Amino acid sequence: MMQKFNVIWSKYGTFGILILLTLVMGILSPQYFLTTGNLTQVLLQSSVNILLGLGEFFTILIAGIDLSVGSIMALTGMIAAKLMVAGMHWVLAIIIGGIFVGGLLGGINGFLVNKTGLHPFIITLGTLSIFRGLTLIISDAKPVFGLPQAFKSSIAGWLGPVPIPVIIALIVALAFIFITNKTKLGRNIYALGGNSQAAWFSGINIKRHTMIVFVISGVAAGIAGIVMTARLGAAEPLSGSGYETQAIAAAIIGGTSFFGGKGKIIGVVMGGLIIGVISNGLNILSVPTYYQQIVMGALIILAVFLDRLFGVKR
Amino acid sequence: MDYIVEMKNISKDFSGVKALQDVSFQLKPGEVHILLGENGAGKSTLMKILSGVYEPSSGSIVINGTAFSKLSPKESVDSGISVIYQELSMIDELSIAENIFVGKLPMIKKFGIPVVDFKNMEEIAQRMIEKVGLKRSSKDLVERLSISEKQQVEIAKAIASRAKVIVMDEPTSSLTGEETNKLFGIIRQLKYLGVGIIYISHKLHELLEIGDRVSVLKDGKYVGTKDIKDVTKETLVTMMVGRAVNERHLKPEDSIHTGEETLLKVEGLTRKDRMVQDVSFELKKGEILGFSGLIGSGRTELMNAIYGAAPIAEGRIELFGQEVIIKSPYHAIKLGIGHVTESRKETGFLKNFEIWKNISLSRLLKTSSLGGTWGLINEKQEKKWAEEYKASINIKCASIEQNIGELSGGNQQKVLIGKWLAAGSKLMIFDEPTKGIDIGARGEIYKIMRELAEDGVGVMVVSSDLPELLSVCDRIIVFREGRMNGTLSIEEATEENIMLAATS
Repeated sequence: MMQKFNVIWSKYGTFGILILLTLVMGILSPQYFLTTGNLTQVLLQSSVNILLGLGEFFTILIAGIDLSVGSIMALTGMIAAKLMVAGMHWVLAIIIGGIFVGGLLGGINGFLVNKTGLHPFIITLGTLSIFRGLTLIISDAKPVFGLPQAFKSSIAGWLGPVPIPVIIALIVALAFIFITNKTKLGRNIYALGGNSQAAWFSGINIKRHTMIVFVISGVAAGIAGIVMTARLGAAEPLSGSGYETQAIAAAIIGGTSFFGGKGKIIGVVMGGLIIGVISNGLNILSVPTYYQQIVMGALIILAVFLDRLFGVKR
Repeated sequence: MDYIVEMKNISKDFSGVKALQDVSFQLKPGEVHILLGENGAGKSTLMKILSGVYEPSSGSIVINGTAFSKLSPKESVDSGISVIYQELSMIDELSIAENIFVGKLPMIKKFGIPVVDFKNMEEIAQRMIEKVGLKRSSKDLVERLSISEKQQVEIAKAIASRAKVIVMDEPTSSLTGEETNKLFGIIRQLKYLGVGIIYISHKLHELLEIGDRVSVLKDGKYVGTKDIKDVTKETLVTMMVGRAVNERHLKPEDSIHTGEETLLKVEGLTRKDRMVQDVSFELKKGEILGFSGLIGSGRTELMNAIYGAAPIAEGRIELFGQEVIIKSPYHAIKLGIGHVTESRKETGFLKNFEIWKNISLSRLLKTSSLGGTWGLINEKQEKKWAEEYKASINIKCASIEQNIGELSGGNQQKVLIGKWLAAGSKLMIFDEPTKGIDIGARGEIYKIMRELAEDGVGVMVVSSDLPELLSVCDRIIVFREGRMNGTLSIEEATEENIMLAATS
């Protein structure tokens, strides 16, 4: 009986919480919360978080972490904006400034983790600060305005009734579902997270996979940086500060095990949406922002605790 | 009163498994009493009962005239028993003096507040370490000491706690010859002071030099006690392996294989860390080659070197007639090597994976490109492989969807064997393949090995279980201190001569 409950919990627990929260908010505020407009807004507000969480997922999956995602997001957004202002076509600018630079910054994390053998927490705590510093230097701590209209309307616009950031997050999520479920790379990353020594003896190149994991996290943060810049209409040097908390929260509320080797992309999406529903709902209920932070913190602890309590025995 | 320690008729069960049966042991003051036996003979269990870690199931212990039916760790220490374990249990971040006085720091009152009396402590500690010949300041941090120096600190600590009995578990296993001589000097001093020493070691030549008496255990049973002056290496080995094995070997004559074609040729292999030195041998098609020796003698270390899991300094490897340089396990897999490792839990299976994912893992890697990162998977196909090996090597499970952690040790091992069979391995390394596995599954694993060898797969087996090697292998290489110390054909191999080659 208990065993059965555990299995159901581990499969549908996060989804259940999301539905439950939506219902509770719907009951508390039927006229505002449960409208198509507002629910679309929840999706839009969650898209950057989900993008960051999707990258974070892989680093937690190998029993590591990436604290630098917020800073990568700011730096990539800033570089892309500078390139556009300097006259580069916006499509090229987001590919180079967002995706390529994002991957490069993630690669620096991976390189340092592999070379020093230090825990990713230490490395990315360092690069969190380094990347932020670089953003402030290249921007002279000033926002960059004057971005092409085509860029803003293409990335932050709408496709019919659906905001494009939501579509971008969806595409990245689908791509990552493909990686985790259908490729050897994905399987190897799960193996590495389960037991790195056994993975190594089974033939998995630990360093190469660690590197790829951090590059993935960097690319996802780079994409988030582009979306953020487009939505704001400007590159802010301090954007993304503290977003690593949200990214980590999305991953672990979504059931990714902090011990590595367990978790699903779909869970991260749910986790991101749960955070979105809560902050949107609390806004509608006119709960001050400061209190929202307390709710968020409590939720992270609760999610991991419930996972420990009901999670299928490892 | 002749004895300071008398352990009478001690038995110890671990949930039904008899680790010790009716073992008696006496220690006189001022003697070095050697405790001898193979890996798993029960020496450590007996010492853990003396130090209060385990409770005996039956029997009694008399220390200095006081009888106990069981000891707590504190009673053991208070009775003057001090154990120096093989992995020294010191706190690296503290000074020598603090380590010596850990748990009983001398205190002094300053302004009415009790604080640690560092000055006094360091002075006493300094005298203690000078007694054991350690040329250091007692303020030095332990992390800066060599293993031999740490051992001296442990001995100083035992003296400081006024130990009447010191147990030394393989004290020379990581010492150089000179350091060993120094240790023996200290031991002689301790004897002079009337301290009784229980000395556990496998190195026979050492025992003959330092011991006064020797007691031998085998399979948890007491074999006998002799004065050192009455024994030779040969008599000790006979006592260790027991008289039960009188047959030359357990294999029927007609099942001995000696192949022609060479599958693996290793020449002058030396590991970078020198755990393996100058090893040369050939593995023929159709034969099963066994590797014996004590734990840490270089058997497992050699397998890891061949498998690309440890760097090689010198030597060459020829696999299936081609010279190869194997840089990583990934590379080894690509070349067709499979490795059932020594420790299922740590380096074997993935506890977060189902049975089928464990089976397919290495095959997926073998058929991948870009260092294992490129390629797609097909779950249906993977499950088909798993079903195949579940049937062919008889993995007992409700379903291949079960998590591997739910299986018994024997079935976990079969899954790991299945993993390498699925990867189409042409050379298989089995390191302690039946450790912790029930007899039924053992037989099945032996059968799989034999069938593999007959199918032309190269099979190498590392084992501490001598009867296992004698019944499975066609030839046995014995390791001692990182080097090959003999190759025995199955016709000439006996437990005695393997043990002799492993220890002297």
